[in-house]
Amino acid sequence: MFIVKDLGFKYPQNKENTIKGISFEIKKGEIFGLLGPSGVGKSTTQKILTKLLTDYSGSVMYKNQDLKLCKREFYQEIGVGFEMPVHFSKLTALENLNFFKKLYHENKDTDELLKRVGLYEDKNKKVSEFSKGMKVRLNFVRALLNNPKILFLDEPTSGLDPKNARIIKDMIKEFKENGGTVLLTTHLMNDVDELCDRVAFMNDGKIAEISTPKDLKLKHGKREVEVEYKDNKDVSKKTYSLDTLANDDEFINIIKTKKIITIHSKETTLDDIFIKITGVTHHE
Amino acid sequence: MSNFLHLFTGEIQRMKKYHILAASIVAALLWMGILHFIEIEDLTDLFPLFIFIDATSMSMLLIGVTMFFEKQEGVLKTLFVSPINKVEYILSKTFANITSNVLTLALLYAYAKIFKTVNVNIFVLLFAVILIAIFHSLFGFIITYYSKTFTDMLMGIMKYAFIFTLPVVLETVNILKGKFGDILSVILYFVPTKASMLLLQSSSGGIEVWEIIISIFYLILASGLIYLLVVKKFDEFAIKESGV
Repeated sequence: MFIVKDLGFKYPQNKENTIKGISFEIKKGEIFGLLGPSGVGKSTTQKILTKLLTDYSGSVMYKNQDLKLCKREFYQEIGVGFEMPVHFSKLTALENLNFFKKLYHENKDTDELLKRVGLYEDKNKKVSEFSKGMKVRLNFVRALLNNPKILFLDEPTSGLDPKNARIIKDMIKEFKENGGTVLLTTHLMNDVDELCDRVAFMNDGKIAEISTPKDLKLKHGKREVEVEYKDNKDVSKKTYSLDTLANDDEFINIIKTKKIITIHSKETTLDDIFIKITGVTHHE
Repeated sequence: MSNFLHLFTGEIQRMKKYHILAASIVAALLWMGILHFIEIEDLTDLFPLFIFIDATSMSMLLIGVTMFFEKQEGVLKTLFVSPINKVEYILSKTFANITSNVLTLALLYAYAKIFKTVNVNIFVLLFAVILIAIFHSLFGFIITYYSKTFTDMLMGIMKYAFIFTLPVVLETVNILKGKFGDILSVILYFVPTKASMLLLQSSSGGIEVWEIIISIFYLILASGLIYLLVVKKFDEFAIKESGV
């Protein structure tokens, strides 16, 4: 869908490049996570891919065409879900959606989308009366309004309760199952773990790591297994190397003779990888 | 231009919902109140002056207000990633503004015709209002581009009014006299507000043909140039407002 080669970008007011020669590909039908702490260039990259910033170096190809040559029709194919509210507050949810809907050739069934995210009953309420979570859900509906081929989502579950976050995540998965492509930016590593096929960690304008969440966890984790078991009345915990597990008599003995409480391979979490790669906690 | 009509009707809808149109009507009522209480029966000479203040200041203000609403509510961000082009966006706002100005003109004219005496050519006045509204709406974009806050925008309009509008008003009501007045009258030919006033005054006669022609060309040329600037600077504005 997108092939980015040696992308560089410098804001006129800055001395240094914000994006320092990054290359990656977003494949059709995948959910690609762009991760990293604030200020590393994620939003800038997203703005380049949505054609808001055009004065970049390197190349960005969209469906084998130079993005710079794509006309306004490009926006017929994309949906952008913002983290912050982006609606006319004195208009109702339905009035807002109807306004944006008419800008597109293709439309999704608004009622169905509103029902799905639980806003159908509130569709005639002014957006100013909406809670933060309702505005986030309306943003998501807005992004899907034109039945896009690619979705750019920025913190799509931020401010949502677990039930509504689940609905949004399920809808993102369905979008993907129906052939859609997603570029996801979020600080919630659980969402990344659940949704993303591949992720890129950005740090200081560069891509520090790019792979599948599973591969990253394996790469940055330890090839060990930790067994927790009942040893007489006590609970014991031991760690064994995965590479020698088959010939480890002590491990085999524990498995055969003890009551196992838990057994875990020691791959790391995306949270740990985030901190390790970027050198900061992801709340920054 | 396929989205122009939709954007234009959307502008009008929001001008109603955000009570901008109501504020514009209240301003017209205010002018009517002033016209009512000044004890002049024949408003022919005064009428263009009231229209002048509305068509210049209100045009800039309405553009600023609608754009600041869009800015504050984050709507600009989503509009920038929609399949509309900047020309459609700029023109829809400008024409919605013209609609508001024409509404004010219609209200004031109806009042003057019904309750007082006014002898102006309404079609000349309408043409003048449209031309003035186009120029000043576009100037409103420039002021908004360079204003960080709503107060900055108001200050920008105040500065414009102080430098360009007030001297023309003072000249029209014959307050500027003597050598200074004569010099200023010549200088004022170089400002868009003088051209605007001359065009409005031409609706009641008494303006030289050459002055009318120059005023029309001046406003058309100035609108054209400022339009190019508004379009050119729009991308910078879009980048700034998208959170950079």
